[in-house]
Amino acid sequence: MRFRKHLTLWLGLLAGLPAAAQSSASITAPAARYWVTFRDKAGQMLQPAAYFDPAAQARRRRQHLPAADSTDFPVRPDYLARVRALTDSVTLVSRWFNAVACRATAAQAARIRLLPGVSSVEVWPERPMLPAVIHRLQRPAAPPAGSPDPLSPDDLVLARRQTAVLGAAGFRQAGQQGQGLRIAVFDVGFRATNTHPAFAHLYRRRAIAATYDFLRRTPDVYRGGSHGTEVLSCLAGQLPDSTFLGLAPGAEFLLARTEQQGSELYAEEEAWLAAAEWADRNGADIINSSLGYTDRRYFPEQMNGRTSLVARAAAMAVRKGMLVVNAAGNDGDDPTWRTVGTPADADSVLTVGGLDPDTFLHLPFSSYGPAAGGRLKPNLSAFGVAITAVPGGFERVEGTSFASPLVAGFAACAWQQQRDLPVMALFARLQQAGQLYPYFDYAHGYGLPRVAAFSAGDGPAVLPNPTFDFVAADSAVSVIIRPEAAVVPAYSLPLQAATEPLADTPTAEIASPPAPLYWQLRDASGFITRYEVLEVSQRAILRVPLQQLPAGGTLRVHFRGYTASFSVL
Amino acid sequence: MNRLIFNWPPLLALLLLTVWPRLAAAQRVLLRADPATDTIPRRYGPNRALYQHLYLGYTAVVGAADGPGAPLRYPQSGELFVGLRNKWRVTGATAAGLDARFAYLRYHLRQSSAKQVPTAQPHYRESLSLTQLQLEPFVRLSFGRRGNVVGHYLDVSGWGSWAISSNHSYEDRPGQGQGTRTLVREVRPAYLRRWSWGLGTRLGAGRYALVGRYRLADTFSTQAPAIYPELPRWLLGIEVGVF
Repeated sequence: MRFRKHLTLWLGLLAGLPAAAQSSASITAPAARYWVTFRDKAGQMLQPAAYFDPAAQARRRRQHLPAADSTDFPVRPDYLARVRALTDSVTLVSRWFNAVACRATAAQAARIRLLPGVSSVEVWPERPMLPAVIHRLQRPAAPPAGSPDPLSPDDLVLARRQTAVLGAAGFRQAGQQGQGLRIAVFDVGFRATNTHPAFAHLYRRRAIAATYDFLRRTPDVYRGGSHGTEVLSCLAGQLPDSTFLGLAPGAEFLLARTEQQGSELYAEEEAWLAAAEWADRNGADIINSSLGYTDRRYFPEQMNGRTSLVARAAAMAVRKGMLVVNAAGNDGDDPTWRTVGTPADADSVLTVGGLDPDTFLHLPFSSYGPAAGGRLKPNLSAFGVAITAVPGGFERVEGTSFASPLVAGFAACAWQQQRDLPVMALFARLQQAGQLYPYFDYAHGYGLPRVAAFSAGDGPAVLPNPTFDFVAADSAVSVIIRPEAAVVPAYSLPLQAATEPLADTPTAEIASPPAPLYWQLRDASGFITRYEVLEVSQRAILRVPLQQLPAGGTLRVHFRGYTASFSVL
Repeated sequence: MNRLIFNWPPLLALLLLTVWPRLAAAQRVLLRADPATDTIPRRYGPNRALYQHLYLGYTAVVGAADGPGAPLRYPQSGELFVGLRNKWRVTGATAAGLDARFAYLRYHLRQSSAKQVPTAQPHYRESLSLTQLQLEPFVRLSFGRRGNVVGHYLDVSGWGSWAISSNHSYEDRPGQGQGTRTLVREVRPAYLRRWSWGLGTRLGAGRYALVGRYRLADTFSTQAPAIYPELPRWLLGIEVGVF
């Protein structure tokens, strides 16, 4: 009898809890978010000349893309009106995906599913994106209104090296600083960008083409955080001594605030998509996104470029002719994630990892590849420690967030040089410009891009001289560095660094430490099962037992620009 | 590109290799990674096949005794607990688990003329306490799509406990003799049951959860006087996961 009483109480509790939870939820969040996809765009047309910015039209012409296609057509207004009539609010209308995001109750969602023209209604998860930045190394003092704080000598050196290793001098000599390109920067906010002396040159020549806050739906993006300010400075920031912190000070910029730092907002992923469509319409050539989703919503094995909306949106942006450059992420030292986030996982997104400025090797926090399915990520690397503009001054920061705009600036210069390259041809050329190319691994990708690869023109590729040999024995294969490659070259100062011929001054080599040796074991499918970087202190550098070679696989080695493979026949 | 390249200097070097392996091992590795093992999906994690974490919390005794004679002080009457949770994922939305915890339950008895538990004698301060080891199997229903995080969930459980120790403690002021106070502890009184069991539920988001437990077993054993009312059966409180 007593048990029955207890059971009654217990069942009452069970019945009450979800109800209470639902009731509580209904007070704080009366409606969930839904993603409603429509079946067609029948009857819709578009006047590209009226809809697209002239820069967007020019980009499509250059890349032999149609002036507009069905993904650019507007969503059918009758479909839209029906959804609007049934929901609390429509928060995004996506032409690219012929869909809307809206807030609705479960009952409303059920009714939307029955509407004519509705293909699917999915619950829209609500999680924030996180900027791919880790900790600051130093904080600025109280921000003065006028002149920024002076940098330390070490920081000044780094400020010059972060672009010098990418060939800033060569691009500058060639007059390539991103002129004629538009770069969209998606970030959490651009606090103080409009007042910081580092960007005064941009405002003087009206190079901020457009701004939009996709969370607050206002053109004011100078709030919400300064991560975007830091990222933008790695594209076009300028120190008081006129040193540029990025490679594209001559470009125009579209600043989009798509994320909010430190709090749960509902609209981040759709804001990224909306910003991409906005960037497309406004003629962006390059999108830099130093943001990424990781384990709040996804598993590493879902980093396949197809699961997340932002990855699909990024892939669509590339189809529209824009190069999407994304930070790899800062989860390399997080054993539970370790790999790149999304949208960095998309095949056509140029994913950038972080290098240590002292060693030119992978920074431990920089996310590793491969992406799901064994796909190569990151694609390239740049310094993951950089000097950036922050409100009130400049500071040294860490994160792949800053490697990404450094490479985006490189891409802008390269694209300026060869303006008619289709976006994926540029993508391939950028990978080929990596200092390790054709070698790659899942820590560095193809490594740091070199300007020499672009300045060499379209002539026949010159094969590098062999720098090592494989020596096979019964049970092991050894790698012996050739005597001529075992000399550490001395460096002589040029008379005038700025006028030194480009081909004779491989800047990256000048600024880089002694070259290490990279080696890896690949299985028959090309998947890298193991890789290492060795300090070179002797010519007999490596010995690998043959039994360690995967069946049908190869040993691949890279040293001083030369890559060769060994396999057991 | 497969290359097998031989020339004489390397062959000479090969001869040296017969005595070289130890030197080779001395090469400094600047970076090493094993994607073959690094990229294997993990079985362990908040939303993986298995997850373990510590947790702690406090639940207050809620409600009144099942009759007169055992008035309690609130919210001092309650249970402090710390435990280890083991969770096995069944599907994306469901999981099963087993909690093992150490719980300290104390009933602070309000001193009034109506008090009968365990005696009618008034004291300055008085309590019944049980130090318990508890096991609690549960099933979990999770809400919403999520990655490798705990997320939002509802747990339903059954629990059983065994009291390592049970005490009746009281404090008298002034104390006996010249003392300002006297503390008395009656260890393992026969009227307190050592075994207990019940049902529980948790409504959680990430590391935080609201916890409710209902005790099905009686507090007092058959050796307790019949006038002892059953003490409140509900415990409601919060829990914080350590992860």
